[in-house]
Amino acid sequence: MSEGVRKVITGVVTVALAAIVLVGIVVGDPTPQDRAQAIGSSIKCPVCQGEAIADSPSETATAMMEVVAEKVDEGLTDDQIFEFFRARYGDGILLDPPFGGRTLVLWLLPVAAVGAGVFMILGRRQKPVPVVDSEPGEHT
Amino acid sequence: MTALLGYFGIVLALVSAAALGLVGMAGVHDAGRVPRRYLDRSVWGLMAGSGLTMFALVAGLLVDDFSVAYIADHSATTTPAIYKVATAWAALEGSIVLWGLVLGVFTFTVYTRYRRSTEPDPLWVGALGIMGLISVFFFGIMATIANPFQVCVEAANIGCVATSNLPWASAMAPLEGPGPNPLLQNHPLMAVHPPLLYIGYVGMTVPFAFAISALIGGRSGDSWLRVTRTWTLVAWSFLTAGIVIGGLWSYEVLGWGGYWAWDPVENASFMPWLLATAFIHSSVVQERRGMLQAWNFILVISAYALTILGTFLTRSGIIASVHSFTQSPIGPALLWFLMVILVGSLSLFATRVHLVASSPRLDSLASREGVFLLNNLLLAVFAFVVLLGTLYPMFVEAISGDQLGVGRPFFDRLAIPLSFTLLLAMGLGPITPYRQARATVVWERIRTPLRVALAVGAGTVLLGERTGYLVLGVVAGTFVIGVIARQLWVTARQAAVKQGKPIWRSIGRTMRRDPGYWGGQISHIGVAILAMGIAISANQGMETQVTLELGQMVEFAGHEITYLEDFNRQEPNRNVLGARVEVTRNGSTLAVLEPRLNQYVRSSQPVATPAVDTSWRGDFYLSLTGIGGGRISLDVFWFPFIWMIWLGGLLAASGGLFSWVIRKPARRKVIPEEAEQSV
Repeated sequence: MSEGVRKVITGVVTVALAAIVLVGIVVGDPTPQDRAQAIGSSIKCPVCQGEAIADSPSETATAMMEVVAEKVDEGLTDDQIFEFFRARYGDGILLDPPFGGRTLVLWLLPVAAVGAGVFMILGRRQKPVPVVDSEPGEHT
Repeated sequence: MTALLGYFGIVLALVSAAALGLVGMAGVHDAGRVPRRYLDRSVWGLMAGSGLTMFALVAGLLVDDFSVAYIADHSATTTPAIYKVATAWAALEGSIVLWGLVLGVFTFTVYTRYRRSTEPDPLWVGALGIMGLISVFFFGIMATIANPFQVCVEAANIGCVATSNLPWASAMAPLEGPGPNPLLQNHPLMAVHPPLLYIGYVGMTVPFAFAISALIGGRSGDSWLRVTRTWTLVAWSFLTAGIVIGGLWSYEVLGWGGYWAWDPVENASFMPWLLATAFIHSSVVQERRGMLQAWNFILVISAYALTILGTFLTRSGIIASVHSFTQSPIGPALLWFLMVILVGSLSLFATRVHLVASSPRLDSLASREGVFLLNNLLLAVFAFVVLLGTLYPMFVEAISGDQLGVGRPFFDRLAIPLSFTLLLAMGLGPITPYRQARATVVWERIRTPLRVALAVGAGTVLLGERTGYLVLGVVAGTFVIGVIARQLWVTARQAAVKQGKPIWRSIGRTMRRDPGYWGGQISHIGVAILAMGIAISANQGMETQVTLELGQMVEFAGHEITYLEDFNRQEPNRNVLGARVEVTRNGSTLAVLEPRLNQYVRSSQPVATPAVDTSWRGDFYLSLTGIGGGRISLDVFWFPFIWMIWLGGLLAASGGLFSWVIRKPARRKVIPEEAEQSV
């Protein structure tokens, strides 16, 4: 087999493998979860320290998880269930802060931090210099 | 007696620390001004005092000396010895004693190293002075507001009612104490986790002290980095191990099947870890290429400040409520100390950085330095996000009084993309040449590992796994490991051919020749395995609740579980009530598990201890939620490959120790252009 043919074959195989991986990722969910579990991981356990009701073994959390499961079975949407809990326990019960209002800073600061970092790194670059041709390293 | 001995230790350490601080600051510009015997005596005094303090506390716990209020309130005669020892750091005052001891030992190791040099060196003397000043704070609060040796002057039936700060006060000791918090005496890992974490936290004091000393003395160059490298690596390794063991403890004890909840206490240990990791990488860039000099000061100051912030968060009660932290004077004291550290070191940095830092510019983003910068950007942003998510609800509550929840969904949303990008950088960075990397060189080094990783990923998909994060995690993890394995193979083969020896003999030699680089790669492999473990167990994990009658069998996740019988046994400190449950797979017995409820003496709620059967396939995890009348309720979990998390985490920690323990053969002078691989 000539060098050229082998290159083409490895190229095709690589692309095919990548395609399988991509299709697999696109077809499936990013993360499979029971809906009740997913909702429960966004509701704070009121008697614990910063734990979600899906994570806490406490009695209160278990009871609240049962309520979530019931609501899911009744066919309520995620938002309706969150609203149900918010009406009873207040805003603080939701662990996933909504975008906007008081949480604007919380969501925007990380983005600003990335921006500032990228800006600083780019600012430290100097004018392109000719490529250093001797690459040692692998001594191949 | 215990109180007198312990308090004497505190005072001895405090006086010695103050002396060390004075002597060190006197010699920060001209080390010749301070006689070495002054340093000698104050360091020995600090070491002896901190050791004596811990010795008195542990001895008092072991002999049940309830005349000391701390012991009367946190221990009991029936507590097993291992948990008596662990009680020395289980509560607030004792944890500061441990902090002081670790600080004393670190100061001592720094001094021992300094004594080997013949010339007086102001950088070292100044750093020892800073460590002395920091010790003054910790032994100062032990001597006053967080005294672990308060004497019990009025006893209740159990525990202590009134205390006196005077160690010679006449004591009235109760006959029995309530014993440690049930959760803290339920698993031996609790004896290991805090010391590991504290060695990590306190170890960051060393690079911090040297950085401050370099700033004060206006000493440029990277000597403060090079001489503290050992301590930074040790601190990082222990911090890593401490966090992983903490996760394992949570998994083995708390019974919810999880190991990480993004709660403020966990975040408090994770933030310094992120910055310490960034610092280890960026210090390499400064040593190799002279870049990032100012940034390294910022990183090490922030990492140290975050260890204090973490202690403040965990020890002040502020997490339970913003308004509760003033109830103990220790919270405000830690907050003041944090302010002094931050304001002091940052203003020092601002006024003196021009003396110590002048960094050359970056040749090209496509270079090892470029990837290092990306790594630092990602780790710093990661730490910032965790900090923001941890503190934001407290600020909102303090200002408006409203509660705001920030939890797993917020952190996951930012942590997952950051982690995947970091994994990618981890795959590319170590094989990218410095200065300017040509695409052909990089491609040559990654193409085979990339194909292997894609093949593994495609295999996973074809086996029926369509979960995006799982597939991505497996591909990224395999890629990182593949790139490192190929690099080791190629390098070792070159050496083998040159020396005419078989390749398997030159692999170990190759790694020992460059312990800094290969230690780092061991850690990278560990992190890649850990990432795959998280991706697989989080996405393929299963959970169910079952109620079983005696003798009944139920199927779950390809296993069958059968409720065999109950058991009940009385231990000195607790009553254990549990069930024997047989786990079988296709009819053959894998294990008989004993999930149980431990009812501790003088504790209202029983504590559930889950039972776990680990095999290479994964963990079968049973947590008992109810028992009685021939019927049990169980939370049943199946976590495939979750052992990869513990294995990967400990491998990551051991990589740092590898770099430290393996001595580099005679340091070869390398010019940057040749410095392709070594770090």
